[in-house]
Amino acid sequence: MIVLDEAAYRYPGSSAWALPPTSLELRPGEVVGVSGANERGKTTLCIVAAGLAPVTIGGELRGRVLIDGRRTVELAGHELAQRCGVLFDNPSVQLTGLHRTVYEEVAFGPCNLGLPAGEVHQRTRSALDLVAAEHLAGRHPGHLSGGETQLVVLAGLLALRPANLVLDEPTSRLDPERSLLVADAIARLAGTGVSVLLAEHDEELLARVCRRVIEL
Amino acid sequence: MTGAALSLAWGGWVAVGVALLTALAALRAGRIRRLAVAALALAPVAASSLLINALLPAGGGGLTTAVAALLRLLGATLPLTLLFATTEAPDLLSDLEARGAGRRAVFVLGAALAAVPRAQARAVDVIEAQRARGLDTEGSWRRRLHGMLPLITPLIIGSLAEVEDRTMALEVRAFGAPGRRTLLHQPPDSRGQQVARWATAALLVLGLAARAVAVAIR
Repeated sequence: MIVLDEAAYRYPGSSAWALPPTSLELRPGEVVGVSGANERGKTTLCIVAAGLAPVTIGGELRGRVLIDGRRTVELAGHELAQRCGVLFDNPSVQLTGLHRTVYEEVAFGPCNLGLPAGEVHQRTRSALDLVAAEHLAGRHPGHLSGGETQLVVLAGLLALRPANLVLDEPTSRLDPERSLLVADAIARLAGTGVSVLLAEHDEELLARVCRRVIEL
Repeated sequence: MTGAALSLAWGGWVAVGVALLTALAALRAGRIRRLAVAALALAPVAASSLLINALLPAGGGGLTTAVAALLRLLGATLPLTLLFATTEAPDLLSDLEARGAGRRAVFVLGAALAAVPRAQARAVDVIEAQRARGLDTEGSWRRRLHGMLPLITPLIIGSLAEVEDRTMALEVRAFGAPGRRTLLHQPPDSRGQQVARWATAALLVLGLAARAVAVAIR
């Protein structure tokens, strides 16, 4: 569950508020869409809701942001990661660049948690299965198309089994067929109780998977 | 690493021996071309060393000093070139991690190894974007130089912005979690490899000690 209570944010070194005071509640299993023109703060809302701002990148936060009842500013980075996964609009920067196969790339998160190898394998396979990307498991992460990269990064987040997901334009590099796959995956995740905040330009996708849509 | 360190310490025939052994190993591994390119890349350094030591009166070292410096350089750089030509970065990193190196140190090394290809890919993107805007990056050297300037700013700013994105990307993958990471693959380490490793370590210690004694006696 993610709660924004009059949350406003400005980036380090900036005097302007990139996110004006915003309130929002995202309940378990709910998919909430965020739409709006460019530069209206969709990406900022995503990183604030996920706790990355200000925990990782600094800046000033006013109001409160809670993930599963805990204030984001009180959580360490790895605790945030297990509670909330974030997919950026440029997925290529989310690849570590340290692995030879997609399988290892997806397993990176569970390995960071120091989980037993058996559980790492189980989570990795199930995450790849969830986004229908098992066929990419043996490929080199650096040789994927934009859409494939997006799916692999999403699988990497799902392998951490977060209860909340923040997706910033997850289908921007996908063809309509793959977009449907992502839409199905989002619906399936919501069915298992995962709450999803979905920033998207695609009105059709928002209408298909979101219970409500916020316009910025 | 042993070869590089001994070449730097001893120079002369030791450096020649290390360079020859490296060349033989590269021949066996099918990487002799890569080694030759690395050796050729030292040509400007060799030329300037020759100029300073042999031709300019202020250098004073003469031809012998110039050749000795070049041999040291060859002996120090060729083994490292061969290491990176024959070892894939993920193998090197997982091996280091299996031997107890911290995840942050391993990531810094991995990021450093990946920095050059990443910068090349970014440069290609920037050049294509600027060309699409009508920038001329071909023709005479003067025109090319003029075309370089608008490429540098987006290249540097883009690289700096990417650092923040990558930091966030690591955080959302629980990179900062405490404790040891799970290692999915243990790199192969045969008995022969272990013996060779200990032998080269012993050779390094003996070689450096012998050099220290030789210098002290002189």
